[in-house]
Parts: sequence; structure tokens; C-alpha cells
Amino acid sequence: MRLARIAWAFLRSAVQHELAYRADFFGNVVRSLLGTGTAFGGLMVVFSHTESLGDWNFPQMLGLLGVFYVVQGVMAVFMSPSLNKTVEEVREGTFDYILVKPVPSQFIASTRRFVLWHVTDVALGVAIIVIAAGRLEDKVTLMDVLVFLAMIFTALSIVYAMWLSLTTLVFWWVRMENVTMIFNVFYETGRYPVEIFPFWLRQALTFIFPVAFITTVPARAITGREASWLTWIAPIVAIVVVLAASKFWRIGLSRYSSASS
Amino acid sequence: MTADISVRNLVKHYLVPVREGGLRASIKGVFKRRHRRVRAVDGISFEVARGEIVGFLGPNGAGKTTALKVLSGLLYPTDGEVAVLGHTPWQRKRDFLSRMTLIMGQRQQLFWDLPGIDTFLVNKAVFGLDEPTYEASFNLLSEMLELGDLLYKPVRQLSLGERMKSELAAGLLHSPSVLFLDEPTLGLDVTMQQRIRQFIKDYNAATGATILLTSHYMADVKALAERVIVIDQGLVLYDGLLQGLVESYAPHKTITLQFEQPVEIKDLERYGEVERIDELQFRIKTAKDAAPGATARLLADLPVADLSVEDPALEDVIDQVFRTAAE
Ligand SMILES: Nc1ncnc2c1ncn2[C@@H]1O[C@H](COP(=O)(O)OP(=O)(O)OP(=O)(O)O)[C@@H](O)[C@H]1O
Ligand SMILES: [Mg+2]
Repeated sequence: MRLARIAWAFLRSAVQHELAYRADFFGNVVRSLLGTGTAFGGLMVVFSHTESLGDWNFPQMLGLLGVFYVVQGVMAVFMSPSLNKTVEEVREGTFDYILVKPVPSQFIASTRRFVLWHVTDVALGVAIIVIAAGRLEDKVTLMDVLVFLAMIFTALSIVYAMWLSLTTLVFWWVRMENVTMIFNVFYETGRYPVEIFPFWLRQALTFIFPVAFITTVPARAITGREASWLTWIAPIVAIVVVLAASKFWRIGLSRYSSASS
Repeated sequence: MTADISVRNLVKHYLVPVREGGLRASIKGVFKRRHRRVRAVDGISFEVARGEIVGFLGPNGAGKTTALKVLSGLLYPTDGEVAVLGHTPWQRKRDFLSRMTLIMGQRQQLFWDLPGIDTFLVNKAVFGLDEPTYEASFNLLSEMLELGDLLYKPVRQLSLGERMKSELAAGLLHSPSVLFLDEPTLGLDVTMQQRIRQFIKDYNAATGATILLTSHYMADVKALAERVIVIDQGLVLYDGLLQGLVESYAPHKTITLQFEQPVEIKDLERYGEVERIDELQFRIKTAKDAAPGATARLLADLPVADLSVEDPALEDVIDQVFRTAAE
């Protein structure tokens, strides 16, 4: 409850911050529209030459694209801004002021920045998913939707754990540059179902950098594809990685040495 | 009197990677980092009673900021015991963090692009202050610091002094009972320093808060702290009354003289080290015990227009402390 109020306070200051830079807001929305539009068009072109990718047909791939944007949007709304801000603050030493607050530092570090216009990414993602669902051969059932929501939640938890872990590295490598870049290189692979990659890469994308759980698994749920065993272990994976990341954060924190002066 | 802060044998060493010059050394450094140990705080002990204002003095790099950071729970110490308000700071218990504050002149917590009030509202939520508590605290600080409409302008548009006032208010919103102030007057002009100083004094009087403060401006120390702790190279050199510091480290007094007509310098040199200010004005540094006798004879023998006897400037005393320690 108290934590919700704090997040709300951060959110409000973010809104104010963005209203102060209104021009930015519209520019970004346009950019985000163009981005999704291009991806959408690219997919149309590919499917004008072929019936399926791996064994995913057009609406299913569209569903995957939607999931990709929803997750990316949520990440961009608060995870990457907050955690990048944290990296910067640890480097500069202003992180001191977060540590002296009577709130778990992990919570503040993860929620202190919101970039609201990325909500448009989420909205576009949802729109794409709805369009995709409408074009599927089989009707989407209520059960599909429920499993899908659970999988999205799982995916977001995993993504969060990854962000948090990457951020924690700053306690060892103070000069760590843009976390977002490292992350995005891997995340881009989430535009495709893991099945289309060769065996070793597929394993890596499932167990090392678990993009499989982030886009493929939720997309399967909403596009009427059979649930694989990955669906069943996904929640467990999510719980484990979130707890592990949190533990890692605390270990990193004990190494925090502030900055001189 | 209860001790709000108690520190026993506190040690904080930093391990800093050593970067050597040259490509070969750099490559070697990637695989095997060498570390150098910086003994920032090397075994200090002291206590601060509730309601006391203590000045923490020392030259650059003495370890003052490091000690304050350990005391406020930011850093894990290398060794030693610390209790602040009955808590071990680095456990960062909520009760501890809600009752103390750390304000650093060289580091700001206010959101740069937003008006100060936004940081206040976030802190209100963070400290879980209810509306009446927040209002009361806000009004008090706003009045004491004469914040006026400063809080409604983006922080980046404020002057250094205005920003520091807002910083203080932001750090005190939750009415902490222990304050760690690291150079709160850093870089401010004399008037603003004076204001901040007065505020700290009033705040202490009004709330009975315990304050540990560092400053390189002796005027701050003189105005605020009856007691000082002097540290250098991580060790305590002196802990006691400011007056006692002056007496024990400044065994001389300064006699300032204004003459009616020119005098021979050698008539003055009998009494101590002479400094000529202008033709008719001199300053003599004389042994403390000899000061009364010297004064009497100067008045009797020479055409004195004006004479004053003073303790040396605090800056000089402190300087003396460090030089004595170095020997
Ligand atoms: N984060 C850090 N990592 C490594 N060494 C540090 C760090 N912070 C401080 N030091 C070193 O520890 C020593 C004490 O520094 P500290 O900042 O505590 O001094 P200080 O008394 O506050 O000095 P000043 O009056 O200049 O503020 C210095 O030698 C400094 O270089
Ligand atoms: Mg300092």
C-alpha cells in the first residue's frame, strides 16, 4: 500500500516531467507508430512469398509481433528508464540518497522513472494481438486468454529479473555503459519464434537468455498453438529468476562504495 | 544524557583498483587487478549526545565524508561498531532511516528538471507522512528557510544558495532526530552561509535534534559547534570543546597595535613575531603567558593609539593541529 503510494508519486512526477516536454511526446508517438507499421509491413511482405515461418502462419506471427511490442512497451515505460537511471546514479554517487530512504532500494531503483509515451507501444501491441486473434482459423477461447495473461505476467517478471541483474553489474563495473543496448541486442531475437533457430541457439534463447519465455510462450497461448512444457514451467522459472535477481541485487548493494566527494 | 551516536574503533578502507600506465600493464590489469588500500577511516571512536551539535573537522581527504556515510548506513564498514539511535546503520532498518537524514552540499537529491515541490511530494510518500504531518513540517521549514515560491520553479533554475535551502528542506521533511550534514554551506556566499548557519542553529533549538556537521568554513564551526572532533588521515586528533582546542593548540595570542606615530620595529620584536600591516599598524604573535606583560609594557613605552589582544584565527589553530600531528 505504502509502496503503491510511492510508485504513484514517482508516476505523477513523471507525468509532470513529460508534460514539460510536450514536443517530445508527439515526436515519439509518431516514431513508435512508424516502428510498428514497418514491422507489420515487413511481415506482410514475407508472407506474400511464403505460407509459414517455421510452422507459424501469418496471424500467429502477427500475434508474436504484438506480444513483442507489449513486452517491449512495458519495459520501456518503467524498467529500462528506472534501471538506467540507477546505473547512472550509482556511477555519480547520487544513489546515496536512495539508500538512505526507508524503502527497499530495489523498489525505488525499479520504479523511479516512467516514460509514459511508451504506453503507445503497449497499446499498438495489444491492437496487433487483437487483429491477429481475429484472423486465426480457430476461435480464441476464454481459457486461451487466461493462460495468455498468465504468460504475459510471467514474461514481464522474467524480463524484470533480467533488467535488475544487468543493472546490478554496475556495482562491479562502475563504468558499465548503456544497459539498454546489451539487452536490446538479445531482445530483438524475440521477434521470431524460437523454433526457427538452430538447436543450440534455441537452447541458449530458452535457458540462458530466456527470450523463449518472453515472446514465444505467451504468443503460443493467444494464437491457439499447443502449449508446450515450457508453458507449465514458465511460472516457476519466473519466480526463481525474480528471487535470484533480488538476491543478486542485495549482494551487489553490499559492494556499493558510493563515489568519492 | 543518552548518546544518539556512538562509534567504536570504526575502520573503513576502500580497495581501489590500481591502473598502471602503458599498454602492457593495462592488458595485464584486465586479468589480474591489483588493488590499493585507501585507509579513509582508520579506527575512530566518539559519542554524540542527544541534542548536541558537533563539528567534524579535518583537511581534504581526512575521512569525514566516509565516516558520515558509514554512520548513515550507506557504506559497510571494514571494522568497528556503530550505533545510531540504537541501530546499526548499515542494516538500514526502516525505523533508523525514518529518523535520520544525510544532507550533502556536494550532492543533490532534488529532481533537476522539476520544481522542488515534486521531490517533496515523493519524499512525503517515501516517508509515509500523512497530510497534517506533512503540512506542519512543510510550513515550518518553508518559514524558517524563507522558501517562498522557490519550490515551484524548476530546480535547475535556482541559484546555488536557493537550491541548498531547498535541499535542506527536502532532507528534513520527515523531522529526523539525527542530522548528518556534510558541508551544507559549500560554495555559498557569506550571507547565505550565515542564513543556513542560523537555520541549523534554530532547528537544533526548536527540535532538539542531534547534529554532526562538517565544514571547511571555520565561521560555521565557531557559530554552531561547541564541541569539535578533528580527524586527519582517518584518525581522531582532538575531541573536545572548541575553546579547549584553541587553548591547547594555540599557545600564543595576537596583539594588534595602532600607533600614533611611527615606531622602530626592533622595539616590537622583543615581544614576539612581528607582522607589519601598514606604517602605523602592527600585529605581534606572542606567547600566551607573556601576553599580559607585553601589553602592559607596550602601552607604557610606546605611543599606542589602539590595542587589542585576540586568540588566533581558528583556521590557524586547525592548521597548527595538523602540523603538530604530522611531526
Ligand atoms: N568511493 C571511494 N572509493 C575509493 N576511495 C575513496 C572513496 N571515497 C573516498 N575515498 C578516499 O578516502 C579518503 C577520504 O575521503 P573522504 O571523502 O572521506 O574525505 P573528506 O574528509 O570528506 O574530505 P573533503 O574535506 O575533501 O570532503 C580520500 O583519500 C579519498 O580519496
Ligand atoms: Mg567530504
